[in-house]
Amino acid sequence: MKIRTAGRHTREGFKNLFRNGWMTFASISAVAVTLLILGIAIILTLNIQNLSTNIENQLQINAYVSDSVPATALKGLEQELFALQGVRSIKFISKAQALLAMKKQLQQNSNLLDGLGNPLPNEFVIQAIDPSQTVSLAQAVKATPGIQNVQYGQSYINKFLAVISAVRDAAFIFIIVLLVMGVFLISNTIKITIFTRRREIEIMKLVGATDGFIRGPFFVEGTLMGIVGALVPALILNELYQWLVTSVTPFPPFSFLPLAFVMQRTVIVLILCGVFMGLWGSIVSVRRFLRV
Amino acid sequence: MIEMQDVWKEYGNGIAALSGVSVQIKQGDFCFVVGPSGAGKSTFIKLMYREERPTKGHIFVGGFNIERLRERQIPIMRRHIGVVFQDYKLLPKMTVAENIAFALEVIEASRRTINRRVAEVLDLVGLVGKGKMLPQELSGGEQQRVGVARALVNKPSVIIADEPTGNLDPENSWAILKLFERVNDQGTTIVMATHNRELVNACRKRVIAIEHGQIARDEERGEYGYED
Ligand SMILES: Nc1ncnc2c1ncn2[C@@H]1O[C@H](COP(=O)(O)OP(=O)(O)OP(=O)(O)O)[C@@H](O)[C@H]1O
Ligand SMILES: [Mg+2]
Repeated sequence: MKIRTAGRHTREGFKNLFRNGWMTFASISAVAVTLLILGIAIILTLNIQNLSTNIENQLQINAYVSDSVPATALKGLEQELFALQGVRSIKFISKAQALLAMKKQLQQNSNLLDGLGNPLPNEFVIQAIDPSQTVSLAQAVKATPGIQNVQYGQSYINKFLAVISAVRDAAFIFIIVLLVMGVFLISNTIKITIFTRRREIEIMKLVGATDGFIRGPFFVEGTLMGIVGALVPALILNELYQWLVTSVTPFPPFSFLPLAFVMQRTVIVLILCGVFMGLWGSIVSVRRFLRV
Repeated sequence: MIEMQDVWKEYGNGIAALSGVSVQIKQGDFCFVVGPSGAGKSTFIKLMYREERPTKGHIFVGGFNIERLRERQIPIMRRHIGVVFQDYKLLPKMTVAENIAFALEVIEASRRTINRRVAEVLDLVGLVGKGKMLPQELSGGEQQRVGVARALVNKPSVIIADEPTGNLDPENSWAILKLFERVNDQGTTIVMATHNRELVNACRKRVIAIEHGQIARDEERGEYGYED
């Protein structure tokens, strides 16, 4: 193919977008609506993923040291615990620090603690490298001599994580269903488009156009519709997400992923899907009428 | 130039449209194809540019053996033939100039050649200044002249037309015929199926009459010969 022919296909593809005004509009709308919902699903999934990471990162083991362990042995105990399999970090909170923190929490009621001395034990806060290993790590910690008791937010957090993972799976299925619907929507639009354009293809063949020559502008047209159909929802989502991030302040463990991070991923997926749908649509539409 | 040897055409539904047609048309000939409705004229024409394929027999058009043609060669063959249709077959969304230029873009001609040739044929068919209009903005006669211009633009050695004046009034029909005569004077072969008695009788060209799928008459300076 000569360069001038490639140029001609591009020009014709562009012109066809305008020549077939309403059909172009309908096709782009179908792509845009599908991709808008897909984009929302992607952003949701990314943030849910982020939420569960946040929560997993907050999974910690509180190991209470028995009072029989002398202050001089604490350093050794810390090293012993840190050496356990799968420990990411360990932090020491002394009795005094713990009391101070509690008084702060109780605020004006802190006088309740007066006269009790310090009932709180020394404490290590341990995090596992792999959050899912928290339970087994907690057992190992508990088995260490000098540790009186351990606590870890196992029960409710695990339930929470299970819910999140269910939501994630649901979102995934939702995306699949959506894509199928989108393909259906677009193929319907294309069917109408083909019908109005079969005569056009027929005439091109009669004038001596090869199949490849006829396809050229259709491909350009399909690709352009796909890109425009992806950019429209991308812009909308960008504005919406920006608005959300700036106007809503979430409390931990909820947090929004940064705009740039989310949009980079979303826009790439949307454009790829858009181009795929556009190209796929044009291949289907021309193939059916090339046999003249 | 065009040769058919014992050509038969039976459509899928069992209708025999042509039964043993043999004919020779030389380069530079001008011939009318006449006959009653349903006689097989359009089939005869369609076989020449391979819109239909013969059930039996051989067809040669300008050096191409039509029934041996590979799928990929069909477009190449069609570029050597200009076809004109009763319903013009113009692309409605393209301007007049674009419709004509299309036949040249297909052969990857340069922009300059395209512009020059389009201007030339627009002049030839008398549509200078209407290149930017859309087909629907033209009269039927003008649309058919665009159809002829498109058929002529890549200088084919033969023009094949199926009832090109079928939708036109006498005045416009004459204009199309005059165009064909001019092109024919320059050596282009013309094959034209028609029901137009006045044109045929006034011209005294070669007339091939088809009846019931067979050649009933083939006269050098023939007449229309039917009462309709
Ligand atoms: N695509 C087709 N499928 C089946 N039969 C067809 C087809 N085209 C034409 N025929 C039949 O073949 C016969 C010849 O048709 P054709 O169109 O060649 O006639 P014609 O001489 O051009 O008639 P007219 O003057 O009315 O245009 C007719 O009986 C017609 O019904
Ligand atoms: Mg006919």
